[in-house]
Amino acid sequence: MTNTVEVREVSKWFGPKVAVSEVTIGFGPGVTGLLGPNGAGKTTLMRVIAGLQVPSQGSVSVLGRDPRVDPSVYRVMTLVPEDEAVYEHLTGRQFVELAARLAKVDDPVGRAREVLETVELTDAADRALGGYSKGMRQRAKVAAALIPDPQVLLLDEPLNGADPVQRAQLIRLFKELGAAGRTVVVSSHVLREVERMADRVIAMVDGRLAAVGSVATIRAAMTDKPRQVFVDCTDPRRLGSALMATPHVLGVHLSGNRLMIEAADVSQVARLLPRLAVEDDLTISRIEPADESLESVFRYLVEGR
Amino acid sequence: MTLTMHLYRRLMMKGRVFWLVLLASVPGVIIAVAGIDMSSDGLAEAFVAIMMSVGFTYAIAALILTVSTLRDERDAGTLPYIYMRPIPRPTIAASSLLAGTLAAATIGLGGWLSTVLAGLIHGAPMSLMLPGAALLVSAAVGYAAIFVPVGYLFSRSVLIGLGYVVLVELALSGLVSGLAQLSIWRIAGSIYVDLVNASGIEVNIVLGPVAPGAGGGALKLAVVVVLGAGLLTWALRRRDAL
Repeated sequence: MTNTVEVREVSKWFGPKVAVSEVTIGFGPGVTGLLGPNGAGKTTLMRVIAGLQVPSQGSVSVLGRDPRVDPSVYRVMTLVPEDEAVYEHLTGRQFVELAARLAKVDDPVGRAREVLETVELTDAADRALGGYSKGMRQRAKVAAALIPDPQVLLLDEPLNGADPVQRAQLIRLFKELGAAGRTVVVSSHVLREVERMADRVIAMVDGRLAAVGSVATIRAAMTDKPRQVFVDCTDPRRLGSALMATPHVLGVHLSGNRLMIEAADVSQVARLLPRLAVEDDLTISRIEPADESLESVFRYLVEGR
Repeated sequence: MTLTMHLYRRLMMKGRVFWLVLLASVPGVIIAVAGIDMSSDGLAEAFVAIMMSVGFTYAIAALILTVSTLRDERDAGTLPYIYMRPIPRPTIAASSLLAGTLAAATIGLGGWLSTVLAGLIHGAPMSLMLPGAALLVSAAVGYAAIFVPVGYLFSRSVLIGLGYVVLVELALSGLVSGLAQLSIWRIAGSIYVDLVNASGIEVNIVLGPVAPGAGGGALKLAVVVVLGAGLLTWALRRRDAL
């Protein structure tokens, strides 16, 4: 798949502080989640890609164009900034129409009406943005970003302040855009939401790339971290003893009827469990991976630095 | 024009506009008071002198307003809504300078109206009062060309602008003749003095070595505008926008 956004050896520092360090990465169609703790460099990387900040070294190209040199790239790339800032004196409709006029779209009024409908903000469109809730402002910003029907959409913490219903709507919208072949880059610290919408995850820690890929791929690559599996069964103590007698299990932890198994290779455990259940006359009611969520993977990445 | 009008409206909607018009109206207040006991000849002479010397308060009003043109957008975090549009950087620079000029000129003309009103009360000739608008509009063009880029580049732009106004325009250019040629107020004053064909000690003190001349003054302002637009274009391309 061809990358629409190429980041090559980009570093950005502010005086002695290095915000982004030698990042090389490409973004293609689909939704990519950009993760990292506060200060990891996500927002700076977004701003460098958007052309809002000049890289201290390295280069960025969006569909073959450098945003710092060629502003026509903003016909195909937009950003929803992290800041809550909007023009509070404007109504939602005026804000989006202003974006349409500055973007030089053919029918600014009509296009504004369309994107306001897309983010389900039509009813509140004629109220001043100053009176909007945080979630409504986010949707207004998303509407303004959708104006040129962008090929590349950068979203910096787009779900901040949105209520659960609004979050679900926005996530559905971003997934639809990704499925339609748009390059959607979403930075967020809410891992569960990124997990719901992103096909691919980029984790940043201390300004550097910590991992790139799907959650499962990244977890599989962490060979130094034993995999953890929860097993609910009728006699977890006996099952734990039997498992520890095999060479495939590194450790077991008992908690009520629940056993947590640590193993280097979970496929071996998956083969062992039915056999041991039959041999020891145990009933296994539940098997669940304990650390394959994005949250666990991310915790490992941050701990590892 | 969309960008210019957006920036202009943003500058003009603030509560500060009232106070800035008040500041720019100081000459009108002084003419209103000073004109009470004056003859018509004396008033005509005083009108030009007051416009030229006390009208200098307008520099402060123009500074406060024009530095905000892009600084407000940067500080509020709304600059991406302008910057990330398919607009060539020289166009953004020109639109910003035009918006700053329009806003400063609006304030200036508000102050000018107060002087005209005061002049009319005391019977000052219209031939002296009308070119006052040219003085303030010329100054607005020059100040916007300097202060809009300064506002974009520096977070403490008002302080830097005050440094220019107080040190260069008020203090040093009266002492160093070369610096007087860089004074926007003196350049605008040279246009005004030429238009009203005025002379006198007060006029000479304010203008210093800057020779009266509308054409020369306009040319100098054009150079300042080109330099200001160039600097702002460079900053938009080469400096972080956030």
